[in-house]
Amino acid sequence: MSQSLRPYLQAVRSSLTAALTISNFASQTSERHNCPEIEANSSPEILLNPLHISRNENEKVKIEPSYNSVRISIRIKQADEIEHILVHKFTRFLTQRAESFFILRRKPVEGYDISFLITNFHTEKMLTHKLIDFVIEFMEEVDKEISEMKLFLNARARFVAESFLTPFD
Amino acid sequence: MSQINYRTINIDALDPESSANFPMESLLPATLPQAASASDAANAATQVRQMLRGGDPEGALRTVLDTAPLGGDDRAKEVHLATVIDVLQGIRQGEMTRILEGVCSGDGGAERADCLMKYLYKGMSSAAPSSGAQSPKKSVSPQDTGFSQIQARNLGEGGGGQQMSVLLSWHERLVDIAGTGSIVRVMTDRRTV
Repeated sequence: MSQSLRPYLQAVRSSLTAALTISNFASQTSERHNCPEIEANSSPEILLNPLHISRNENEKVKIEPSYNSVRISIRIKQADEIEHILVHKFTRFLTQRAESFFILRRKPVEGYDISFLITNFHTEKMLTHKLIDFVIEFMEEVDKEISEMKLFLNARARFVAESFLTPFD
Repeated sequence: MSQINYRTINIDALDPESSANFPMESLLPATLPQAASASDAANAATQVRQMLRGGDPEGALRTVLDTAPLGGDDRAKEVHLATVIDVLQGIRQGEMTRILEGVCSGDGGAERADCLMKYLYKGMSSAAPSSGAQSPKKSVSPQDTGFSQIQARNLGEGGGGQQMSVLLSWHERLVDIAGTGSIVRVMTDRRTV
């Protein structure tokens, strides 16, 4: 792991540990309802101050906590346009299958590439530290995945170009 | 008026008793210090920079955290944030832990630790929205020249990536000393810096 990635992930881990202390909270506006307050936005009182963690301009995490839910938005590193397209395709692939991912949000928050929404029901059903491990691991893996895909794409493009141009040799 | 579909009106917003109209001022404590103006913050900044130049980084950090404009306007807060970041960048990597232990101990040490934590998060968020929100369309060249272009732009704004890595290493050390509780207090405290 590179030198500057470790403190970044460490900061995300400790912030998530703090933010994921959530508990059940019934809706204040409608009786017998229970919705993630960070999404419902029904009262400014139950939204807490958002936390931003950034490694540089292109890699940052935004954690928006509330009483019963936490929204985590990740901006994945995109150094050039190929990576931008790859990130877009990759996150689209994941968000279209959001039902099987439980904590994945269908639409990322503006300015970010992918968002997770963790509610108190998730932390009751699953282990909180494992959820945090998952987010951290996702952030580690996605960078690797994108650069691998980029290398693969370049290699393939070179091969295609070579075999296309052989008859003219 | 009759043209508007009355079913789409959010009636909660019109009800003064509704939770959507919760008076946020009531969450601020009555003991909030006097609202500081930008010139007060600038005065504090000169004083702190003098201490930093005089070879007293611990005193500088202590003063800058004690004079945080919790009740000030946005301009004063911005000026003070710049001062705090200057102090943090002026302290060498090897001295961080020693200085932090000094600042976070003694009378009001926990408050200073929380205040520093607030500034670390604010410092990381403030550089972001200015130019980070849009997609990276500016880096046209696909080679690593695009990367160097971004770096140059960061330096113009006061060293984006460099500044972040300084803040991140401060964050790591502060969590070691003050614990996760400090982050929880950043989230819940309405006295923002």
